[in-house]
Amino acid sequence: MLLYILKRVLSAISVVIVTLVASFALFFLAPTDPAGVICGPRCTPERLADIEASLDLNEPPINQIGAYMKGIVVGREYSSGGTVRECAAPCLGYSYTLGQPVTKLLGAALPVTISIVLGGAVVYLVVGILTGTIAAQVRGTSLDKLVVGSTLVVQSIPYFVFALLVALYATFLPDSGYHPFTDNPLTWASGLLAAWLCVGLTNAAAYTRYSRASMIEALGQDFVRTASSKGISRRRVVYRHGLRAGLTPVVTIFGIDLAFQLTGAIFTESIFNLPGLGQLTLRAFGQYDLPVLMGGVLIGSVVLVVMNLVVDIAYTFLDPRVRLG
Amino acid sequence: MEPMIEEAELSRAGAPTDPMASPKADQEKKVDTRRKSPTQIAFARLRKDRVAVICASIFGFFVLIAIFAPLLAKLEGQDPTTLHQDLIDQYGYPTIPPNGEHWFGVEPRLGRDLFARFVYGARPSLIVAGTVTILTTIIGVTIGLLAGFVGGWLDRIVSWVIDFVLSLPYLLFAIAVPAVLLTIFVGTSENAAAQDVANARFFSLIIVLSFFGWASLARLIRGEVLSLREREFISAAKVLGVPTRKILFKELLPNLVAPIVISVSMALPSYIVVEAGLTYLGVGLTEPTPSWGLTIAAAQNYYRADPLYLWIPVLAITILVLSLSLLGDSIRDAFDPRTRR
Repeated sequence: MLLYILKRVLSAISVVIVTLVASFALFFLAPTDPAGVICGPRCTPERLADIEASLDLNEPPINQIGAYMKGIVVGREYSSGGTVRECAAPCLGYSYTLGQPVTKLLGAALPVTISIVLGGAVVYLVVGILTGTIAAQVRGTSLDKLVVGSTLVVQSIPYFVFALLVALYATFLPDSGYHPFTDNPLTWASGLLAAWLCVGLTNAAAYTRYSRASMIEALGQDFVRTASSKGISRRRVVYRHGLRAGLTPVVTIFGIDLAFQLTGAIFTESIFNLPGLGQLTLRAFGQYDLPVLMGGVLIGSVVLVVMNLVVDIAYTFLDPRVRLG
Repeated sequence: MEPMIEEAELSRAGAPTDPMASPKADQEKKVDTRRKSPTQIAFARLRKDRVAVICASIFGFFVLIAIFAPLLAKLEGQDPTTLHQDLIDQYGYPTIPPNGEHWFGVEPRLGRDLFARFVYGARPSLIVAGTVTILTTIIGVTIGLLAGFVGGWLDRIVSWVIDFVLSLPYLLFAIAVPAVLLTIFVGTSENAAAQDVANARFFSLIIVLSFFGWASLARLIRGEVLSLREREFISAAKVLGVPTRKILFKELLPNLVAPIVISVSMALPSYIVVEAGLTYLGVGLTEPTPSWGLTIAAAQNYYRADPLYLWIPVLAITILVLSLSLLGDSIRDAFDPRTRR
């Protein structure tokens, strides 16, 4: 067991390191001319040379990536035009256009994305699991067919179209915008409500199908029949005995979904104008801000890898049938 | 080879239970048992599925629109790039409703014909999604076959690469990578021609989506091959000295038709959505390419003044994706007997 966890951790670390090196090579060693971007259209050759020196662009590639790695572990200093800027560890460089450390920008963006994803998750878990459980109990009836049919339709609508229509036409919802939770939880919730409903309702369709399928399987098991024959009420059998067994696969899917939503809330953020990780990356794309792009991609990879690791390890505890190495 | 399955075409109810008892009747009323491959059976099921037939015709309709876009635009007498500034008032709003000359009206601000932009807009969606689906299927199937069949160190490396690709945040990369590819294709100069940028965006979109798309299919195929390669017919082929290439493509591949067809039918609508979504965000295709994603992005600012401008591409993409998804669902049911409802 310990060996398995160790193996998974090592492979996760290898993935992160390869992502780091590969994306660094892609972003900084391709013929991209970052100094020209910072300098702007009216640029003197001296200033260009100064910026290039401050970004270590004249160094050989191996030194550049070494400096970047060192920055992540112990921090580094940037000197530009005589002033020295301290970038504390973990340093992911300075934004070209905003003049702020990338870590600070990411630190501001992550809570927004996490708020959207977790709030949406509450909506789709509650709606999806409840609908799925009810549909499983009335399996084969017209209500069940209606539920299954509508989940198919909801799942097939392009998400950005759905979110856009909600943003444009559902004007009865409170205006969306991000206010930190610590300032006022109420304005935080009302600003995110529209985004939560969008994320929640579209994903609820998938969770309805998952939980319907696994509840049908769970309710057909012997222990459920035994529980019913003992005279336990139908409700208790379904929600205590069946649901507990039926939810294990759903929990696994949820863990993986959560990771992807954390790195893919871009449409929600952009449509509801919430300054999260996706919007930060999107802005960086428009302004050609390579350190921010790189930082966004890196933090996204780390989130995904860590979440996958957690799900894998949790799964070995949840399901005793999974016994690896 | 793909295994053949005996399927009774006629009901066996009329057939005698004991063939020896009435040989004469058996000759007269011969049970028509034709040998059919699972693929043929699946297509027979699909043809009987009303939802599948309707969805396939809707998809075919959009494909026809895309193919005959120039003809349709000519029929209307317009093209997607001409600016009709005379039909735009000083605030940028069109002065004419949809009419015989401009079937869907004209675009606010620029005054380009909306019907022509609509029919031409079907093209990039289908071309990008189709190309990416074909590329990812070919790459995924080949790599999955090789890794599963050859095994050993090749399998270990490929499995690691698959895990690696699947654990990358693909939407973030889809935004970040085109920025870099763009500078490789057209350079960083500010005055690059709009058409060059549009072409570079088109190809970088295909490259990025293909790079992230092949891995899940490769994993699926690898798993199937791992179990298939232990079967007798593969051992027999090996003993007979059939070359590896033939075993892979003549023996193994036909057994993988069902997962491949299912994966293609699921991939196509999802790539249409991704293309339109990224284009909507401004990181996919770009002007002057006519694309539904671009039209939706531009039209969201006019949704009150000119609802038709927004709703035509919105409905088109929703109907297209919806019908493709439902078709994919029917295809999965037809090919995989376990999921039949």
